[in-house]
Amino acid sequence: MATATVSISTLCATFGTHCAISHNPKSQFSQPFNFNRVSSHSYNLTFSPRLPLSPLPKSTESAVAQTETGSTDPEPAQIVPAQPPSWEPGLFAVVMVGSRQYIVHPGRWIVVQRLKGANVNDKIALHKVLLVGTDTSCYIGKPIVTNAVVYATVEEQGLDPKVIVFKYKKKKHYRRTIGHRQPNTRLRINSIMGYENYPKVTMDDLKSEDSQTEDSQS
Amino acid sequence: MNRIKRGYIARKRRTKIRLFTSSFRGAHSRLTRTITQQKIKALVSAHRDRDRKKRDFRGLWISRINAVIRENPKVYYIYSNVIYNIYTRQLLLNRKIVAQIAILKENCIFMIANDIIKTKNPPRRYFGKV
Repeated sequence: MATATVSISTLCATFGTHCAISHNPKSQFSQPFNFNRVSSHSYNLTFSPRLPLSPLPKSTESAVAQTETGSTDPEPAQIVPAQPPSWEPGLFAVVMVGSRQYIVHPGRWIVVQRLKGANVNDKIALHKVLLVGTDTSCYIGKPIVTNAVVYATVEEQGLDPKVIVFKYKKKKHYRRTIGHRQPNTRLRINSIMGYENYPKVTMDDLKSEDSQTEDSQS
Repeated sequence: MNRIKRGYIARKRRTKIRLFTSSFRGAHSRLTRTITQQKIKALVSAHRDRDRKKRDFRGLWISRINAVIRENPKVYYIYSNVIYNIYTRQLLLNRKIVAQIAILKENCIFMIANDIIKTKNPPRRYFGKV
């Protein structure tokens, strides 16, 4: 199971970077709302970088082959055609990284506070998953969804754009100028796993409850 | 003492400030003395508003959560109930996430509200004076 997830995640990563038909890489949620917000009680973030894996050349070749028109000869049976792994529609998770919470979709990237000791192309497992949702159902973590993991790859360890910290007191001849660039890490989310065995809430429960309350009231 | 002309020292300093202020309106991007003043005001505002931004967004999220939660016509839900129940039921979601979910995935927020709120108040059908 572990090897299967790892291979799927590398396929996903290479597919996203090499193929032109990748999804829009910017997550619509995390881009404007990545501020330091009220955080919660302290939980130890278990952070397990694994050995960096080189991208599989076979999958990139087959990915390119798929984008071309179907006039080429059928590939030999060894090469597995690279397809984007199918998730449940509308799958998302809320994960807590660096004491900030993010809404996370598989295949998109997020920018988090700098993770010390993570090099580029490291695999990261995020264990603090607070909520997993799909189009029809919702796994609400109290406080976390047990055994749920979000796998991500470190794409880049960069710096935020510079902000100028300008301290000024009027009429007192005091001004200080400091430039500051906050270090950050960009993570590409590969997959969300391990939430299936958790009690979930679905739309059907809502509807059945509504009908029950309406019957009781009427 | 030798005679020293000031040359273009002041001009070099002021062009950098002028570049910063280049998109400001009217005299604030044209006149040298106002340019220096406006740059100072702009930087001070930016510094102060970086802290204000955190407060402003939290208020925005609270308003949004309140608005969406009250929409539910069947049950009597309000923001204070939601937050109280989030804390008592030991969910760790913060207001930013709940507000985003409320806007973009309405089913999810109602599922969460249903799951955590156990209130016996009936829905308000009559909005006048009691």
